[in-house]
Amino acid sequence: MDLYRRRRLKSRIYMTLSVCAAIIGLIWLAMILAALLWNGLGGLSASVFTQNTPPPPGDNGGLANAIAGSVIMTSVAMLIGTPIGILAGTYLAEYGRYTRLATVTRFVNDILLSAPSIVVGLFIYEIVVARVGHFSGYAGALALAVLVMPIVIRTTETMMLLVPDSLREAAAGLGCPRWIGIGAVIYKAARAGILTGILLAVARIAGETAPLLFTALNNQFWSTNLNGPMASLPATIFQFAESPYLGWQKLAWAGALLITLTVLLLNIIARALTSQKVGR
Amino acid sequence: MLDVTESRLSADFERERLTRNIGRTDILFKHLTQSAAILALLLLGGVIVALIEGSLPALRTFGFAFFVTEKWSPVNDHYGALAPIYGTLVTSIVALLIAVPVGLGIAIFLTELSPLVLKRPIGIAIELLAGIPSIIYGLWGFFILSPVLQRTLQPALISVTEPIPILNQLFAGPPFGIGILTAGLILAIMILPFIVSITRDVFETVPPMLRESAYGIGCTTWEVVLNVVLPYTRSGVVGGVMLALGRALGETMAVTFVVGNAHRISASILQPGTTISASIANEFTEALTPLYTSSLIALGLILFIITFIVLAAARFMLAHLQRASGA
Amino acid sequence: MNDVVLADRAAAEEESRIALTPGRPEKISVRDLDFHYGDFQALKSVNLPLYEKTVTAFIGPSGCGKSTLLRVMNRIYELYPNQRATGEVILDGQNILDPSVDVNLLRSKIGMVFQRPTPFPMTIFENIAFGIRLYEQISVAELRDRVEQSLQRAGLWNEVKDKLNASGLSLSIGQQQRLCIARGIAVKPEVILLDEPASALDPISTAKIEELILQLKHDYTIVIVTHNMQQATRVSEFTNFMYLGRVIEFDRTEKIFGNPRQKRTQNYISGQFG
Repeated sequence: MDLYRRRRLKSRIYMTLSVCAAIIGLIWLAMILAALLWNGLGGLSASVFTQNTPPPPGDNGGLANAIAGSVIMTSVAMLIGTPIGILAGTYLAEYGRYTRLATVTRFVNDILLSAPSIVVGLFIYEIVVARVGHFSGYAGALALAVLVMPIVIRTTETMMLLVPDSLREAAAGLGCPRWIGIGAVIYKAARAGILTGILLAVARIAGETAPLLFTALNNQFWSTNLNGPMASLPATIFQFAESPYLGWQKLAWAGALLITLTVLLLNIIARALTSQKVGR
Repeated sequence: MLDVTESRLSADFERERLTRNIGRTDILFKHLTQSAAILALLLLGGVIVALIEGSLPALRTFGFAFFVTEKWSPVNDHYGALAPIYGTLVTSIVALLIAVPVGLGIAIFLTELSPLVLKRPIGIAIELLAGIPSIIYGLWGFFILSPVLQRTLQPALISVTEPIPILNQLFAGPPFGIGILTAGLILAIMILPFIVSITRDVFETVPPMLRESAYGIGCTTWEVVLNVVLPYTRSGVVGGVMLALGRALGETMAVTFVVGNAHRISASILQPGTTISASIANEFTEALTPLYTSSLIALGLILFIITFIVLAAARFMLAHLQRASGA
Repeated sequence: MNDVVLADRAAAEEESRIALTPGRPEKISVRDLDFHYGDFQALKSVNLPLYEKTVTAFIGPSGCGKSTLLRVMNRIYELYPNQRATGEVILDGQNILDPSVDVNLLRSKIGMVFQRPTPFPMTIFENIAFGIRLYEQISVAELRDRVEQSLQRAGLWNEVKDKLNASGLSLSIGQQQRLCIARGIAVKPEVILLDEPASALDPISTAKIEELILQLKHDYTIVIVTHNMQQATRVSEFTNFMYLGRVIEFDRTEKIFGNPRQKRTQNYISGQFG
């Protein structure tokens, strides 16, 4: 075979492999989603939302306390992590943009962003649970907040940096002090992006299990008391799935489906927000 | 004439008063944002300090031997980290070996081959995969993948490699379904979207002119990828792979279900083992003695250090790419 | 101290330069100004008078320092590290480069319009009201009047009076630029700096802006940086030709374009470089 045909064949082979890779990727996604829907829908019913987690074998019950616990801890985590994240992101994009502190903070933030979430759980265990002496929803929320903060910092800074400097100069040119300029002009311009970052942060912590395992632990019963062990969907799924009880396993799948749907929904909304901004 | 000057002067005075008040708030806000940034620094420092503090009892008791001892015995209150460390590293390597070629393949498909109509949907599909929480992967791996592997792939691997030396050790039975290989597979699926999106972004930084000039002299698509795109984006791809590695190393829920939770090292990757995060997740709440707890925290410290190094290296490589291509 | 020094300097200038304008005071006097971007010196010993209620044009090839010089006057360069100015810029007897001068107050007296329109992400009304509210506490009715006045002055009122609540970004580029000018006028400055204000606009919008400048000069001191020499002849009374960070020639516009003293000015005007 002459050189040219050999080259062409080689390219065709590799490109076919590449298409195969794409197909494999899509198949994996389809398989996972299909399994989730198949098993999850089977376990989904109104009682999932109205009844608490049952004792084994788990045939009559729901996930109400787990859902409530997840919602509560996620909300608290966002309340703590978001303001700090936005403020720090503002510092990185505005006041401290060229400073040494900002460079170091960005590096540290990257580390925190990708740090194993179980390590965060250990950290909160050490400084909260071990000191206080018991597991609590507060500890769980704090662990989640530590995961939220780097995400919000990163997206806030990125979105604010996208606002062109000419807008900053225009505000300054009017004699506008920095903080008014940031509040009235920059935040408004970056609003959609920052909101997207917040949504993505919620999506991220909605499914996090590891940091909750030894901070909030889990709770069989209905409890909205943040000062004690608190149930959460991921921790409940973990417990139920690894058990030999069919009833529990069904509930685990239902819970998994709920989490996945929530996460996908948040991602879709976030995407819609950003494309809306661009479309204008 | 005088009137105008006077009214102008008093207007100026009003102005001065207002601006001075506003100026003070400016300094306040600046310090507020600065404190928030410092908080991030303190957080990282806090994590490191807390981990070290918690690991000290174990490290003092076992010393350096902790890192190289395989035996992990709650009964005797004696612990060695070798098995989890081994498991973490091997599962991640297996994951990379699978996910990198597939991920690169998908990225190449998206940037060179894919018709425009497919690009967005596939891109979105990849991002959806990335958003699925890891516990879902764990569930799927445990209930769906493991049984299938146990019935099909694993027996096949065992019988195919039986006559081949070395390989037959690597793939020795019995087929449990769960084990290091399965964990590695699940991890591969988990980090795949990550690799695809970073590699695709990095591939898209190649200036169109560079690509066009290669195609222009008659290069085949593969030759363009091999000789132009990959060398140009080398640091970025490596950086992306290392970021994915960092992810894989720290993954907990996806592997906990399928790794087998056996504190031992086997030559065969079809055997159960454990990873650092799986050990911590499974045993922490059952750890009855302070030494047990401390050993688990020590495992966490080791994991943190490993991921820290990998992430720092990744960041360095990615920054290198930015400088090289931007300049 | 100031009176004596200034009198001395004034005498020296009279000698070394042609008498330019009897009777018109200098609104801004630039004295021995140097400017550095890091290690690079962008302005070298600039000395320049800017006369009250006149239009002065800064012309010169790319990189000559005309925009840099403009941006010194409202200290907008201070937003960036590694940029510093030494020397004096005297406004109404005060050196505005002195760190003790409140920069926000300064910028309320010296307004700036940029090359690309920069409307804030707010309604048209809010864009104007925003600036006014920074400095004055006035009633809502008064505010509405002021906004209308500014838009009238900028020649935009008729086009937007029915849609004051529309976003500033919904206007055409030419209208956006006039909005920015209206915004600048609203805070009652004394000097207006224009950095190539029409370079992003089509010829019709450009003509409107030039008309505006000719009207505004009755009340404001205006400095305009422009690449377009015909524009300079159309709107300005004085022209400052710069090259490589120095003032090469400063004189009445007719003189610069009709009979310049420096060879380099002549070469630039006739298009031999730049």
